[in-house]
Amino acid sequence: MIMRRSLLAAALLLSAGAAVPATAALDAGAFIANLGNEALAVLGPQTSPEQRAVAFRALFRRDFDVPQIARFVLGPYWRVATPEQQREFMRLFENYIALAYSTRLSQFSGERLLVTGWQPIPGGAIVSSEARRPGGGPPIRIDWRLTRYDGTYKINDVVVDGVSMAITERSEFASVIQRTGGNVQGLIAMLRAKTAGAAGD
Amino acid sequence: MPDRSLIRRPARRAAPALLLVGSLLLSACAASRQAESAGSFYDPLEHLNRRIFAFNQKVDRHVILPVAKAYNRALPQPARNSIRDFMRNLDSPIIFANDALQAHFRDAGQTFARFALNSTLGIAGFVDLAGRWGIPYHDDDFGVTLGVWGVAPGPYLVVPVIGPSDPRDLAGNVVDGYADPWNYTASDQGYVWAPFVRGAISGIDTRARYIKALSDLERTSLDYYAAIRALYLQRRAALIRHERTLPPNPTLTRRENPAPATAVLFTARNGSEVSP
Repeated sequence: MIMRRSLLAAALLLSAGAAVPATAALDAGAFIANLGNEALAVLGPQTSPEQRAVAFRALFRRDFDVPQIARFVLGPYWRVATPEQQREFMRLFENYIALAYSTRLSQFSGERLLVTGWQPIPGGAIVSSEARRPGGGPPIRIDWRLTRYDGTYKINDVVVDGVSMAITERSEFASVIQRTGGNVQGLIAMLRAKTAGAAGD
Repeated sequence: MPDRSLIRRPARRAAPALLLVGSLLLSACAASRQAESAGSFYDPLEHLNRRIFAFNQKVDRHVILPVAKAYNRALPQPARNSIRDFMRNLDSPIIFANDALQAHFRDAGQTFARFALNSTLGIAGFVDLAGRWGIPYHDDDFGVTLGVWGVAPGPYLVVPVIGPSDPRDLAGNVVDGYADPWNYTASDQGYVWAPFVRGAISGIDTRARYIKALSDLERTSLDYYAAIRALYLQRRAALIRHERTLPPNPTLTRRENPAPATAVLFTARNGSEVSP
């Protein structure tokens, strides 16, 4: 733990020396705040579940690092998959995430997303935010891990109250692959069944 | 005549054995952290766990969920919030003790202040005045304390009816249960059933708050068991890490720093809790 902290501190110091002047112009906090504003319109109660999934998919495609996430969640199975399987997985994964997260997020209630801070890290940034409840409960902490590309950021993970979406999906997908005979094809079939009829191309 | 060396021998053996166990625990801890970041969790009893998980889902479908739904129908939201606040206030001594054992003295102070305010002006805890006045509730337990002290979680376990756990959290539950002042006061007075009723009420109240979150998760996940396991183990690890939110970026000037960039993200429904 202390080891990790000091490594992190060292990394932050290094990046403070090198990366900050370049990143200062590109505000990761504003990037997430903007996304939050757009997501509001998408996840509002006036939109139907189908519209929500379609709109969420567009946001996901634009602001998330889909190729990197797809590779991460497949883990060691990415390399054993054929190029066709990789392409098919990436396509289905997009649909699946749009469906799963537009459903799961739709019940977040009356929240305001407050960006509380951000820090550059090598190759990207981490943005901290809080979704506050009107009822006065403890705020839900949402951290966004960003990769930096020319002139913009892409999200590679969302961590809600310490639970990483990427790690959760990776664990779930690995479990599905193991239980369907260790082949990526089993996962692809399940993804296809799950997303059938929703979030079409 | 018993040979004294026979008595001593186990002790002499125990020292290296303890060292070995200790280093195993430490390496297990490191290994579990690595495994977690790779998305695979330590679950050697997965076969048995999945069977208990399936059993728990049946119990949930036929008993717990119907009761939770009836509870939601019978009581309006403010009444349910009052019950939750009352149950949380009862938990205060245990939360306080664990905050202190972890040397999180700011948290301990908050818990103490909440208990003092809510027990008196908050009418025995039914009104969370402290929360309204900016002293938010937080949970804590001896499982987290053990984690902060460096004890490894051990294998993931699904406990009948109770649900996800691990040996560290089970040990924590036992210690918290015995240490709780209300529990032993009730038992001393002959109300041995009282802790069970208390557990059942807070269990139903919690279940009732997660009806939609859990059904959405079950419906959209590919492997519900693996999803719950990932959520539980990551959440517990996060509580033990006890991270605070990042401060505003110091490299930004006041003008550049979006002040404070607020966006209304999630839609209003019922003010219920969120993360599944």
